[in-house]
Amino acid sequence: MTVSVGTDRAQELCTTLLGQGFSPFLGTPCGILAPVYELLRSRGGLMTVVREDNAVGIAAGSSMAGRSPVVLMQNSGLGQSVNAIASLVVPYRMPMLFVIGMRGTDADSTGENEVMGRLTGTVFAISGIPATRLDGPLLTDQVARCARLVVEQRRPAALLVPPAFFGWRP
Amino acid sequence: MNKTEAIRAVIDATGAEPVVFTTGFSCRIARGIADRASHFYMTGSMGLAADIGIGIALHSTVPVVVVDGDGSLAMNPGCLLTAGALPGLPLLHLLLDDRSYESTGGQHVPSERVDFCALARAAGYAEVLCADGIGDFREALASGLTCSAPVFVHAVLAAPEGALPPPRIDLGLDEVRRRFSDHLGLVVR
Repeated sequence: MTVSVGTDRAQELCTTLLGQGFSPFLGTPCGILAPVYELLRSRGGLMTVVREDNAVGIAAGSSMAGRSPVVLMQNSGLGQSVNAIASLVVPYRMPMLFVIGMRGTDADSTGENEVMGRLTGTVFAISGIPATRLDGPLLTDQVARCARLVVEQRRPAALLVPPAFFGWRP
Repeated sequence: MNKTEAIRAVIDATGAEPVVFTTGFSCRIARGIADRASHFYMTGSMGLAADIGIGIALHSTVPVVVVDGDGSLAMNPGCLLTAGALPGLPLLHLLLDDRSYESTGGQHVPSERVDFCALARAAGYAEVLCADGIGDFREALASGLTCSAPVFVHAVLAAPEGALPPPRIDLGLDEVRRRFSDHLGLVVR
């Protein structure tokens, strides 16, 4: 995949998320999502949070204030967020969209990410949060489906981003 | 002042302002004193009460009150960095400090050498107040409830609780969220 395909996809994701009524955007460190952060920042909409579970907490407050927040993180931070999901997001039914960079999957064989690479889908499945692996040609439809879940039905949902999706290389 | 007296003072001082109560006895004591739609009872997710308050305050036209504990803040001091970085955030962050994990059996919080006020100040809070007694605490609340920037109040709880804590929150948690969210509809932009 070329760099420009990755940039186009990042543009398409940001434009679609904003167009579907998502905000605010709460970001934590992730190389896979870096192109998305750059675009969100230039469009004035990224708040960087120091740890992933804190971002989930802020999203919970924001969603109760009527917004449809997006929490962006690397899946290692999903490990940090399991209790926030299990004891806050799910039982209180807090609507929010998770956008998760999937380290430890596909061509990323880094040992420190392998376990979360295997666990990420399972964490969402067992939590009852619908999670969809982003697929280039389907991106707009996949985001629209998430908007139906989060913005309209006020439920949590997740988009899983393969490592190379925006051009990242291990 | 003990925890019940401090929470009663918070409830006396607030009306429409949203109040997020941290996990453990704070939620239970608050609900036992007055069960309001403006109360959010955070029964799990220890350490995240201030983050929930920050998320509300991003959109709120009135100050958002967070009733935090020393064990919770020690578990997640990172929340101070996020609030401190937002100079226009109307957040009144109250630390009720009894130096113990009371609801899990009264274990000691290893914070005797920690200066929570200095942490909040260093993180960027606009104002930091310390209250040793109930009179000071009521004054700090009155002043803090006019805030348009993050304010931190350290309430030192030295007196023992006079009674056993009220029972656990028996409302459905989605019902807690629904009615609190409905209330927020009145105070958010």
